[in-house]
Amino acid sequence: MTVQTQHALLAVRDLRTYFHTFSGTVKAVNGVSFDIGEGEIMGLVGESGGGKSVVGFSILGLIDSPGQIMGGQILLNGEDLVTAGEDRLRQIRGREISMVFQDPMTSLNPLHTVGQQMDEVLRLHSDLDAAARRKACVEMLESVGISRAADRLGAYPHQFSGGMRQRVVIAIAMLAKPRLIIADEPTTALDVTIQSQILKLMRQQIAARGASMILITHDLAVVSEMADHITVLYCGNVVERGRTRDLIETPAHPYTRGLIDSIPDPANRHPRLKQIPGTVPDIRNLPKGCNFRDRCPRAQALCAVEEPQLRPQNASQWAACHYPLQPGDLA
Amino acid sequence: MSDALPILEVRDLKMHFDIGGGLLDRLKISGSGVRIDKPVVHAVNGISFSIRRGEIMALVGESGCGKSTVAKTIARIHQPTQGEIRIDGEDIASYGFAKMLPVRARMQMIFQDPYASLNPRQRVRDIVAEPLLQQTRTAEERKAVPARIEALLAKVGLSVEHGGRYPHQFSGGQRQRIGIARALSVMPGLIIADEPVSALDVSIQAQILNLMMDLRDEFGLAYLFISHDLSVVHHIADTIGVMYLGFLVETAPRDVLFSHPRHPYTRALLSAAPSIKERRDVDEITLNGEVPSALTLPSGCCFRTRCPFAWERCAQERPRLADVGGGQKVACHLVEEPDRDRP
Amino acid sequence: MTSFVQTEFFHNYRRSTSAVVGSALMLAFAFAVTAGPFLVDQNPYDIAALNLMDSYKPPVWLEGGDPRFLLGTDGQGRDVWASILYGARISVFIGLVAMIASCVIGTVLGLIAGFYGGIVDSVIMRIADIQLSFPSILIALFLMSAVGTGVDKVLIALTAVGWVVYARTVRGATLSEIKKEYVQAAKVAGLPNSKIIRKHVLPNVMTPLIVIATIQVGTFVLIEASLSFLGVGVPITQPSLGLLIKNGFDVLFSGLWWTSVFPGLAIMTLVFGINLFGDFLRDELNPRLK
Repeated sequence: MTVQTQHALLAVRDLRTYFHTFSGTVKAVNGVSFDIGEGEIMGLVGESGGGKSVVGFSILGLIDSPGQIMGGQILLNGEDLVTAGEDRLRQIRGREISMVFQDPMTSLNPLHTVGQQMDEVLRLHSDLDAAARRKACVEMLESVGISRAADRLGAYPHQFSGGMRQRVVIAIAMLAKPRLIIADEPTTALDVTIQSQILKLMRQQIAARGASMILITHDLAVVSEMADHITVLYCGNVVERGRTRDLIETPAHPYTRGLIDSIPDPANRHPRLKQIPGTVPDIRNLPKGCNFRDRCPRAQALCAVEEPQLRPQNASQWAACHYPLQPGDLA
Repeated sequence: MSDALPILEVRDLKMHFDIGGGLLDRLKISGSGVRIDKPVVHAVNGISFSIRRGEIMALVGESGCGKSTVAKTIARIHQPTQGEIRIDGEDIASYGFAKMLPVRARMQMIFQDPYASLNPRQRVRDIVAEPLLQQTRTAEERKAVPARIEALLAKVGLSVEHGGRYPHQFSGGQRQRIGIARALSVMPGLIIADEPVSALDVSIQAQILNLMMDLRDEFGLAYLFISHDLSVVHHIADTIGVMYLGFLVETAPRDVLFSHPRHPYTRALLSAAPSIKERRDVDEITLNGEVPSALTLPSGCCFRTRCPFAWERCAQERPRLADVGGGQKVACHLVEEPDRDRP
Repeated sequence: MTSFVQTEFFHNYRRSTSAVVGSALMLAFAFAVTAGPFLVDQNPYDIAALNLMDSYKPPVWLEGGDPRFLLGTDGQGRDVWASILYGARISVFIGLVAMIASCVIGTVLGLIAGFYGGIVDSVIMRIADIQLSFPSILIALFLMSAVGTGVDKVLIALTAVGWVVYARTVRGATLSEIKKEYVQAAKVAGLPNSKIIRKHVLPNVMTPLIVIATIQVGTFVLIEASLSFLGVGVPITQPSLGLLIKNGFDVLFSGLWWTSVFPGLAIMTLVFGINLFGDFLRDELNPRLK
């Protein structure tokens, strides 16, 4: 695929991650490609079953049986993580790439204090002595907005509220000064007022450290406020990607358009919402041709025969559609 | 219809949960001796509102604000601690099982979790028929049930064959349709919908919201719609109540609430909601901290611990929900002292 | 609907050696206890069929073995193989019936405790706790000495010991089920509590019981054997495998080992088969391991 690879920190090329289950092979990620530049935030959007979380786990090398990366490349500064050994991946995780998950309770160990968990990251990924590590931990907790940070190092995860826990997780993710942060639904479990605090915090932290981020979410509103670029997944394929404002304002793929129209718009209230008809097809048994054609208002004979490839639509947008929307089109 | 009885009227509803556990769990030994603890969650602390026939009233708020408890107390899954719940003027707050049964034909509920709200071991047609079968008295009525179930399935966009399947064979959106058919089976005038779309993907969410609107238009249903999502609420509701820590802090017709929110919490909620539109003007109010525990409510105003405007009065005096005109009611001292309304 | 052979359960079963071996052993025992009397010529409890001349014959492959008695004979000239087939009947019967009784009583009590909570729950669960704090064999011994011996007494003793595990499991499962919205939906639909428990809660708390019930049959066979060995189990007229071991034990060290070793091997094989299959069921039916 010929995309600009000039300053790509991470380049994913034709990634295929399959799960071999009793009832058939689930092609959770089926040929996904994208780039993330230095300091960029990329939103990975899609509905459940789109494969967005599997992309994140694949990058981190955390795909376990029955899952398997069947093909493609994940290039971090040119180094392919698909072929890298487990030892190398362990070095990369936490130091080069770190992660923030949806449920902070599952990513924090309930039996260790926050201080112990932070210290562990620094012991693994830095040469600081104990006093310097402690100082770094306190500074980091303060920078994510946790007051009395020195005291809170001795606290256990359950002593923090949901929002505070997510701040701790972000602090731990930032500790080793990673180049890339993968955030998988980081605010989905949080209330909207807490969500806005956490999103603001993540934006600040990313900008201050010049790190890049993959923001995986189902919430178009959240990515559109956070991301520079958006990649839309459907049934394990990239259906569209582009600069955030362009993609939101002039989506080229009917699925992207449908997603945007499904969100109730306070400024423009209609008695009925525009809806995408039908449901996501069974990914064990995908239709031939375009995966979206059964739900697509623009589908024609060609869509049942030939799978559309990702093609440039304009300077910043790519879409995988035989009959892409033009800026003036109504869906 | 303006002078007609509201289909639902709630007055000073309180719901407190005793979470003490057994006697042994309650014994607390402190310096002054042994005492028996009685921890109580103040889930709902005296709220009042009413819904007219065919009206959609939404309750919004964040997790732990008591909105789902209000829904489940009105549906009499819980026995209210205090207050009145009037359905067509009839107070059902203290009704027992037998007296509730006819009321259940007038009020039904749609649940949040499309997975947990359907018994995995029941066929769809049995799930949908359940409320109806409790209302049938004669063999003749019972004979009419299968045909009625088929019609209901068609009404919510499912087919007759779907009736013979089990819930796990359906997607989340289809399951929510089954739950709607179940609620609709007895032709109630009021449906309590507890976060009916929050577990669904956005494209499916739109399908379900449209279906609910269509059913309202066709059957003249009134909804009590519980949600945390302001854009959904804006789309569906006629009237909106904002809840915080078991209190109703503001209620207003939809357009009034979105254009002129008065309570600081409502304003904060509106400014925190993400939007796909170009970034709006700077956030009006940003909240710090988190919701206090419902085990020990703050004195005075429930919101004062996070409110950027709070002053002494807020700690001493609990604000009452006061009419400010235009159908809007606000529980905030700022209404009386508007010049303090600057951060 | 796919047929059973095409299910994932069957697929995993075929691939699990322990499950196949376990169920084969269980099937073999099921066959032995149903067809047992037709497999052997001698009825070991028909005194008239016994001949003291045949006493203490060793198994056929040893010197002095008699081709009529595959596994030798005991002091009364009883065929050990026939005794095992008849004894296994009693052992398996006791294990199954006690399991069913325990399961029914425990499930009902667990449902009531979990669903209604409060004082009912406290009373039932405290009794269960007390029950659990005694070794089960001690409770059985105590009961047997109070009410006497006999197959029915063994069944009572085993049930008194066995219901607790069902009650606790069902109560826990009930507590998590009644929080689910489908139970609340049933309430809103206007179902009375008895119907909610029967139609909604019970079918959804049954799965873990299958594993417990399977393994418990094995446990009960062992406890019954221990009781009989201690002389407080089944009467001499209905000798189970445990009683056979006891009878043979007296002469075990005189070199007449076969009278108790073969019944012992039979118990071991039976319990081993049950446990193998039970482990497989546990892995298959536990959603957390999947």
